[in-house]
Amino acid sequence: MPAVEELSAKDVGAHPLLVFLQSQPKRALSRLYQRPSSCLCIFRLLGPLERQIVMNVLWLDASIPASTMSSWVVREGKKQYDQALIELSRIDVLVNSATELTLSATFKASLRQAITGGGSTGSFGVPLSGDSEHPTPTIATLDTYALEKWESILHYMVSSGTGLPSTKPSAGVEFLLERSGLMAKARETSSQITSSGFQFLLHTPHDQLWALLLQYLEMSEERKTDIVEVISFLFMLSTMELGKEYSVDTLTKAQEHMLSDLRDYGLVWQRKATPQRFSPTRLATTLTSSLPPLPTATGTGGAGSDSKGEGFIILETNYRIYAYTDNPLQTAVLNLFVTLKSRFPNLVVGSITRDSVKRALMNGITADQIISYLTTHAHPQMRKNKPLIPVTVQDQIRLWELEKNRVKSDEGYLYTSFASLADYEYVLKHGRELGVILWESAAKRCFFTSVEGHASIRLFIERLGQNQQNNRS
Amino acid sequence: MDRSSHLSVILDLCPTQWLLSAQPSNPHPLSFDTFLSHLLVFLNSHIAYKHENSLAIFGALPGKSLLFYSSEEAGDPSTAEVVQPDPNSYRFFKTVDQSLVRRISREFDILGQPDTEEPCALVGALTKAICYINRLLHPAQSLSSPEDSANLPDPRILILSVSPDASNSYIPIMNSIFSAQKLKITIDVCKTFGPDSVFLQQAAYLTGGSYIYLEHREALLQYLVMSFLPTPSIRKIITVPTEDKTDFRAACFCHKHVVDVGYVCSVCLSIFCQPVPVCSTCRTKFPMKTLQRLNMTRASSLTGTGASQPSASRPTNGTPAKQVYTGLAANLR
Repeated sequence: MPAVEELSAKDVGAHPLLVFLQSQPKRALSRLYQRPSSCLCIFRLLGPLERQIVMNVLWLDASIPASTMSSWVVREGKKQYDQALIELSRIDVLVNSATELTLSATFKASLRQAITGGGSTGSFGVPLSGDSEHPTPTIATLDTYALEKWESILHYMVSSGTGLPSTKPSAGVEFLLERSGLMAKARETSSQITSSGFQFLLHTPHDQLWALLLQYLEMSEERKTDIVEVISFLFMLSTMELGKEYSVDTLTKAQEHMLSDLRDYGLVWQRKATPQRFSPTRLATTLTSSLPPLPTATGTGGAGSDSKGEGFIILETNYRIYAYTDNPLQTAVLNLFVTLKSRFPNLVVGSITRDSVKRALMNGITADQIISYLTTHAHPQMRKNKPLIPVTVQDQIRLWELEKNRVKSDEGYLYTSFASLADYEYVLKHGRELGVILWESAAKRCFFTSVEGHASIRLFIERLGQNQQNNRS
Repeated sequence: MDRSSHLSVILDLCPTQWLLSAQPSNPHPLSFDTFLSHLLVFLNSHIAYKHENSLAIFGALPGKSLLFYSSEEAGDPSTAEVVQPDPNSYRFFKTVDQSLVRRISREFDILGQPDTEEPCALVGALTKAICYINRLLHPAQSLSSPEDSANLPDPRILILSVSPDASNSYIPIMNSIFSAQKLKITIDVCKTFGPDSVFLQQAAYLTGGSYIYLEHREALLQYLVMSFLPTPSIRKIITVPTEDKTDFRAACFCHKHVVDVGYVCSVCLSIFCQPVPVCSTCRTKFPMKTLQRLNMTRASSLTGTGASQPSASRPTNGTPAKQVYTGLAANLR
């Protein structure tokens, strides 16, 4: 059953926000669950199996015995099912999953309300209709704005490594980048991109966005801002409609403060003349979906259906790379691991060389990240190839990485001068069972264990010695 | 696998049947209003499941079938219904609910009170649903460059049926089932009212869906959510109820009777309830001798058992028209 395996593989990595929520106290969670929009978004971030479990019990008034529910589960799926129950109880959506299943009362009430509508929480944002003086921004305006803001952040990161001039983002963004360890202060005035920053650049926009927002959440936590308000505002944004304006009147103080930060990240659009209204951009409205959060850089429409034409890279077996782009950011990212040869109005030509890949590896980028970047941005023409990335290039990039890791160092202890081969093998066998042997040589009668294994191996040898003495006497 | 899925819902809106269903004399009366409120919650749940999930709702009315709502249409501002934004509800839910309710009431208004009610165009709705999914699976621009199948939605059709089988729709339903199989569409059937539907049972069976006869009708929502919400990949982990016995009877091509035993053309496998000299489908002429023999066995078995249905006799090999259990025809994929 391949589909089931894929499902479990996908389930392993829970959404980063859910991991964050697990660390939150129960009281905060239950306050968060009071808002229907938050419940809807959290529901969407859950894995597919977890979503079904929630749905199955959502409309039951009484709790149902756990055995009744698990009798519907096929034997092969039992492990995933149990795992899903644990995940759900960790974020306090499900209470007491040992004997009976029931949703936490607040979550149940709010999710029910989200689905049926009604209530008076206003958690989906108060919409305003545009007036004649200040018309509502078009979707195209919002897209351009979001793209510009977001790419300027990334571009700032890329160019900080090369020393090229670039527009500095606002102080808030800069601080966030430094805090998250993506950038580090090199001199008094300027900061330099770090190795995790380079890795960050190769992620998908969706992952990048959540990584920054999680940093933002942690930062707010330290600033003693109410974390529940911050999260629920993010969720509210994600349920809003693109190209509509919303009122700030219902927002709390903390949330109004957030608006200015989110404006810097390109999640929210606001006109200076009308600070009492704001519009979410595509970055914000796709937070809880897997749709591309940014319109295509080449600007061919930006509708959801065009998003698959995003790929622009053609890679040949001779390591030559053709990138059909005029976007400075994409060129700069490519420049991280490609030697660029020539540039044309809509095309960049370069080649992947040993030096260019080595440079990338020095920066902390891994071979797998390079390959996955090439895969996700491959030109539609290349998608016909099987495998997508030429095997020679893939292998060579991996070999170059191995080259760098020729010597691996481990801390540990060396055991030598065993009296007999039998003793040596006896102890070695014990070590292997523990899985702590890093290196062994039967000819020299010595082996090397990791630090963690040292104590138990020593104890084992001492006991062995005692036994032998006892036997002799 | 966590990918978006498409659900097409077919509503059987036969007014007479819904009137009967709401009668308080039923053990579990279910009025159309209650049904609709449960259904709307189910539809919202489907959209809540994943942001990219798409939805299309078709209605089978007496004599015609209509598209009530589709996600595509709602995304297009020129055709979408105007929905007043509301801070207390998610706009996608509201759009679905309002446009569906409005269109259904509009249709019921123009329905009037005809003297004779035409049968519901279930087949029309089913065919439209399949065509809609076909268009989703093969967008126009992808004809030149085949897209990778990972992004295609998992298509499903859910039929909420109240009217009994119309035996003259056997052939078109069978044809729809075969096209659904080809497009890998799962057809689920929820029989909300009325007697078991033989044809829809077969539709669910042959496409790997589930057929559920609603017993506790006040718990409609729970049935819908537990059995019809999970995508096929989830159904491999949490099972959904399926029929343990499926009625495979077919309808004959000549009089559209549902038959237990019939006569099958040896060339094109058309089914007849009585021996015919010429196959109406493929124009094959059967030898006179065989016909006479078949007629004789039929007459003797009829007098023997006194049954109105032609009963089984020993199949005679080598004859152009032979009697077989028509269930075999349904098994042919």
